[in-house]
Amino acid sequence: MVNETIEKEIKFPKAMSTPMTVFWIGLFGGVFWTIIGYFAYLFSFTELRPNIILEPWALGDWKRDWLGTAISIIIIGLFSVGAAFVYYGMLKKLKGIWPGFIYGIVIFLLVFIVLNPLFPSMDPFLKLDRDTLVTSACLYIVYGVFIGYSISYESQNQKVQDKEPVS
Amino acid sequence: MVEKYEQKWPIPESVHEVENYWKQRVGLGISFDLNIRKLKILKKDVHLYTVSGLCDTRFCIKLIEELVELNDHEKISTDLYKLVYNRLINQSVMPVQTLDQMVDMVLSGLIGVVMEGESQALIIDVRNYPGRSPQEPDTEKVVRGSRDGFVENIIMNTALTRRRIRDDRLRFELMKVGKRSKTDVALGYIEDIADPDLLNILRKEIKGIKTDGIPMADKTVEEFILKQGWNPFPLVRYTERADIAAAHILEGHVIIYVDTSPSVIITPTTYFHHIQHAEEYRESPAMGTFVRWIRYLGILTSIFLLPLWLLFVLEPSLLPEKLSFIGPNNQTNIPIVVQIFLADFGIEFLRLAAIHTPTPLSPAMGLIAAVLIGQIAISVGLFVPEVILYVAVAGIGTFTTPSYELSVANKIARLGLAILVAIFHTPGFVVGVTLFFIFLVHVRSLNTPYFWPFLPFNPKGFLHIVLRRAVPGSMLRPEIVHPRNRYRQPPDSQE
Repeated sequence: MVNETIEKEIKFPKAMSTPMTVFWIGLFGGVFWTIIGYFAYLFSFTELRPNIILEPWALGDWKRDWLGTAISIIIIGLFSVGAAFVYYGMLKKLKGIWPGFIYGIVIFLLVFIVLNPLFPSMDPFLKLDRDTLVTSACLYIVYGVFIGYSISYESQNQKVQDKEPVS
Repeated sequence: MVEKYEQKWPIPESVHEVENYWKQRVGLGISFDLNIRKLKILKKDVHLYTVSGLCDTRFCIKLIEELVELNDHEKISTDLYKLVYNRLINQSVMPVQTLDQMVDMVLSGLIGVVMEGESQALIIDVRNYPGRSPQEPDTEKVVRGSRDGFVENIIMNTALTRRRIRDDRLRFELMKVGKRSKTDVALGYIEDIADPDLLNILRKEIKGIKTDGIPMADKTVEEFILKQGWNPFPLVRYTERADIAAAHILEGHVIIYVDTSPSVIITPTTYFHHIQHAEEYRESPAMGTFVRWIRYLGILTSIFLLPLWLLFVLEPSLLPEKLSFIGPNNQTNIPIVVQIFLADFGIEFLRLAAIHTPTPLSPAMGLIAAVLIGQIAISVGLFVPEVILYVAVAGIGTFTTPSYELSVANKIARLGLAILVAIFHTPGFVVGVTLFFIFLVHVRSLNTPYFWPFLPFNPKGFLHIVLRRAVPGSMLRPEIVHPRNRYRQPPDSQE
């Protein structure tokens, strides 16, 4: 009896669909690199901690402690899903790691110059200190490479698989 | 010269011409290990060519006995070739038409028989190569698990694999590499799983190897196939364990066996293939995962701990308050970065020396190196104690890396990062790590992204890296090998 129920539950696994993969790429990429960024903040490589994302909203004091950090990391992960789908929609045909590299720089400039006024605790771009700038730029670059390379590889794989006869 | 070697001579009907050919071309009479045994069978000349040491004497004697007995039982008028062919009591007797082929085969340890008046030679496989029997490889030990490792004999190695996979679709494709050495190289794979594109690439590359010999066996083959250049990171994984090779064949990898080497090449390989170990699959999934995480920690330590500590020494303001005790307490005579390099080179000395120190001397060497030098270097003021600590921890981290090749490459990465930190401090560390990461990501080994499944990110593959999954639930083969058949456990097997 027990075996029977288990058998019914086991569904034959299929490879993940592309949008699902893009979603996970975005979420994992955002969360993972934000955690790395948080460690960078702990060791003073950068002055910016992930909590900065909560600043535009008026919230309780919790937004500055660990709960705020955890929620920020998740929120950035969700933003990152958006970034991944933007890349998937526009740039998935580009091959290699360099398009992702540039995508990372573009997001970096977008956040640090265009969106800068949204975050009161972030200094204007030119006043940020050297370590913060270097660390943030590097984080955004590896993030961009992560998103870009993963998505282009996935979409190419998908293309190859579509051509293959179903076995 | 080359053209001349390519010429194919048919086997002459006169046995003396064959003998002359052997004397002139192969050095019969000069090389002491080439033997010719001349028999008279039914009043005709029959010559046996052997190489001493490669043929099993007992079988040779048995064969000669059979042939000589022909004289007692058979009439002279009968067809000698057919008689001899019939009486060579061995499962593998093969006629060859050219002298070239015959010489090749005799030199690889088979017996060549030529008969007067026949333009064919008979080749009998009685090879018995000098070598050891399968034993546990030194580099990949496990607590539990099979202990028969590969040996220097390709036949034995393929047999060890065949013992584990009895599938009728398992293939071993043999090729010869080396103009002079004529070494056997075999591709092992399962036909309906392995990626045909990868197979074609490998076949083309192996056939394209133009060299006289490959005494360094699989390593040389790897260099020809992968054209690695100065990239220190290992692009293929080696294993000496027959069970690991079989597991990878089942996953859809292609294994390259090279004769005279006890290790085989697993292709395609990613970074994460180098940091897994058979031990993890011999323990329960929870335990295997735990062991694996600890191992990852060790590997990360071996790369990042030393540069990071150096950075904190140079820029103490980076440390959070609770960790501010880190860093040398007393002033030192030598800059810390120099100390780190000296100490790390010291460990490297130890490692290099340990490779070829005779076993009876190695405990003494370990004692001198570890206790005396470390202790005394501190008391004379050469090193701060912390340097020894961190270099030692990083060194142990190096040893937790299952792949020897990777551990050495990580060491180079560590020292490179340390140099960058020493020169550029914080930006040096951050940019250095970024470049290191991007470098690894951009490497491709046999058209396979080196950092898969982390980057390009593959959710399911990554889960398999983070957790040691239970085998019954792992139904899909890893996508990275582009398996033709994706399912290890098809749905009907669940019924």
